[in-house]
Amino acid sequence: MSVSYSGVTKSFGGRLVLDDISDIVNEGELTALLGPSGSGKSTLLRIIAGLTPLDSGRVSLAGRDVTNTPARDRHIGFCFQDYAPFRHLSLRENVAYGLKVQHVARAQRREQVDELLRLVRLEEFADQYPHQLSGGQRQRMALARALAIKPDVLLLDEPFAALDAQVRAELRSWVRTLQQEVGITTILVTHDQVEAMEIADRLVILNSGRIEQAGRPSFVYDHPATDFVASFLGPITSIGGISYRPHELEIVSLGDGAESATVSEVIRLGFEVRVVLAGDDGTSTWVQLTHDQAKHLNPGVGQRYGIRVRSSKASKDAPLSSNVDAPR
Amino acid sequence: MKRPSILLRSLVIVYVGALLALPLGFVFQQALSHGWGQFWIALHDHAMDLAIILSLKVVVLAVPLNVLFGVGVSMWIVRHPSPLSRFIDVIIDIPLAISPIIVGLILELAYAQNGWFGSAFAAAGLRIMFSYPAIVLASVFVSLPLVSRQVIPLLREVGDHQEQTAATLGAKPSRIFFTITMRSIAWAAAYGVTLTLARVLGEYGAVLIVSGNIALITQTLTLNIGANFESFNAYQGFVGALLLALVSVIVLVFIGVARHRLERKRHVSFV
Amino acid sequence: MPVAPTNSLDVEVARPPQPWWSGLRSAGLDSAKSITGKSLVVGYLSLLILIPVAALVDNAFKGGLGSFWSQATSTEALDAIKLTVLCSFVAAMVNAIAGTATAYVLVRDRFIGRSALNAIIDLPFALPTVVAGITFYTLYGPHSPFHVNITGTWIGVTVAIMFVTLPFSVRSVEPVLESLTIDAEAAASTLGASSFYVFRTITLPAIMPALLTGTGLAFARALGEYGSVVFISNNIPYHSEIASSYVYSLVSSGQNAAAASVAMLLLVGALCVLIVSNVVARRLARRRG
Repeated sequence: MSVSYSGVTKSFGGRLVLDDISDIVNEGELTALLGPSGSGKSTLLRIIAGLTPLDSGRVSLAGRDVTNTPARDRHIGFCFQDYAPFRHLSLRENVAYGLKVQHVARAQRREQVDELLRLVRLEEFADQYPHQLSGGQRQRMALARALAIKPDVLLLDEPFAALDAQVRAELRSWVRTLQQEVGITTILVTHDQVEAMEIADRLVILNSGRIEQAGRPSFVYDHPATDFVASFLGPITSIGGISYRPHELEIVSLGDGAESATVSEVIRLGFEVRVVLAGDDGTSTWVQLTHDQAKHLNPGVGQRYGIRVRSSKASKDAPLSSNVDAPR
Repeated sequence: MKRPSILLRSLVIVYVGALLALPLGFVFQQALSHGWGQFWIALHDHAMDLAIILSLKVVVLAVPLNVLFGVGVSMWIVRHPSPLSRFIDVIIDIPLAISPIIVGLILELAYAQNGWFGSAFAAAGLRIMFSYPAIVLASVFVSLPLVSRQVIPLLREVGDHQEQTAATLGAKPSRIFFTITMRSIAWAAAYGVTLTLARVLGEYGAVLIVSGNIALITQTLTLNIGANFESFNAYQGFVGALLLALVSVIVLVFIGVARHRLERKRHVSFV
Repeated sequence: MPVAPTNSLDVEVARPPQPWWSGLRSAGLDSAKSITGKSLVVGYLSLLILIPVAALVDNAFKGGLGSFWSQATSTEALDAIKLTVLCSFVAAMVNAIAGTATAYVLVRDRFIGRSALNAIIDLPFALPTVVAGITFYTLYGPHSPFHVNITGTWIGVTVAIMFVTLPFSVRSVEPVLESLTIDAEAAASTLGASSFYVFRTITLPAIMPALLTGTGLAFARALGEYGSVVFISNNIPYHSEIASSYVYSLVSSGQNAAAASVAMLLLVGALCVLIVSNVVARRLARRRG
């Protein structure tokens, strides 16, 4: 089921949160709505779900206009950041809620719930209550509950934000596998660009209520349409007024037509080493080296080197964008 | 953690015991002072029995009215905020600041025959003052915010994500209310209902004015107790008082249980 | 010095509150129902509170401002108000201290019978005022088993008010004491401070806002108390008559305008007490950060 929306506009108390937004999400794809806080991404997700009314614009699911359809008739699955478990119901009853609403017969309901619990690997916790579960388990419960009604679209609002780092990484790849297994069109809201790039088929990057760029993660990363996208998706630095990813630059001996600069700081972050250099014109640039590269070069503060664009990058692609301000 | 000294504990127990426990025990002692036989006879006092029936009739109407109102207005204030609902949030607490006597007075000023609306109601053949409707009106007034004061903070705390999730699962608003919302506020509502019941059953000043205190007709149990006591039939008064004291003990036990179930005391507003 | 650009961003800020059924409403399905519900609530509150309060204001000022003032401040009215304020004040102060001590013992102490103590604190909310009233009259009246007769005195009135208002102080202080970390107190006592010094410098400032709010509530409630006081006070005009009794006597003798004037003054007084105690409590709380 594809999702499309056009001209979606929404303001809260005079503040424009979404400004004439349009996009199409293809069937079976996982799309990430990515943006900083206040970019309007969660509001957009709620509008698609029918939980927040829009000021103007249209939303359709599988070609059927649902702009005026209440949430309960949209046949979507929605997961909140806090998972919103029904606190007074057991895990099994939570998952069965949507089936009960649809008056699915008891035996069939039980069978379907059991199957879902197996799918999210929570069979053994079926009779526990939400407060007895861990954050990750609650999240899987919320997914099973949403999937129970076999929704056309799955909408996830910051699904991993409330989890600690290790569980988050695990669940992320698990959700991706699950989504592909079930083959359900999914829209996920996140502020974490690493998460979005790892999990999504397609990114939609929002900023101040507008779509900055949409496309495949690798394409958007390499070809950011705007300065905002470039800096939001990953670190950038500049040399000679032109922006690059720090790993696209290399440090070489003086000469060779490279810009000369003095090392002002070396930061070691495990495998990655960041070398900050001050150019002769006073601008500063940083270059990302691997541990091995750094070991080989062994840069020290005060030493002078040349900086240039790695040959692979220089020959294939244009720079990220021009006239990007140096990062603070 | 340092414990308070035994002296402080003893002082507190003596103070609370003398101020609260002693009077409660004294009611039982007085009512049973003439033996069980006399007590049994006093229980069948005609005027008191009619007063009990009237009090129950008032409870049966006033408590459900205030529960419906309290839960409904809480939903409105928390889930549907607007300038109007914020105004209502402020004015529903007014009854707690008004003396029961003044409650009786203002209801009379508005609804007596020579009052603001009395003539209009009289023309329609309705008599409000000095009758059952007036007693219900006064009871509802004095206990108006007792349910919403318990429910509002809990509704805020629980948030609306469970309700919205239920909506995306296809549930209709009525189903969401009964299967999700009501379940989360059940204990707070029950606590509020208990306070309301105690207040309605025990109201004296407001009902004294609006009922006219006519024996056998508009006398509630509290009015009957007061009347008996003033007409030098203190014993009969204490028999009625014992019944109300029993109810209040049950209320206390239930309040304790409800508090415990609500766990965090900050959800419990005590008036 | 250049800093490596960072992309870690704060989590989404809270959205402005949106009612969950607003989506349904946009579909126009439940708007009719919700408008009916709102009109019912507004109508109910108007009939119950707004119209009667308006009737009170109307009656109080029917004869003009001068007549309002002379009726509200007649000698009998002033004497009744003075007595009520005095007794309410004394009772509120006594209970501020006793209530704090009770809350302290309930929270910090463990002993057999603690839960019974905890339960009985709410008795004044559960026991009808008239029952308390006749009980106090019998306990401390002409036929007192203790041979104490305080009927018709300010002491009698104060005792009855103390009964009614005790839970206000206890229940407002209790949650604050519970949430107060004991660390600060423990730290202070390891520095050699006496328990009373610790209480005065650490605990008391923390519970002050709640204590003030609770005492304000108690005082406002005391100003209007009737059922528990009316018997023990004997209602002797100019001597032991409380304000609500005076209003009642005016109502029973048909002097509605005078009753409305005194009631108006009492009502405004009670609201002022509540507002002032709330504002002061909030200031105190803010100063503590």
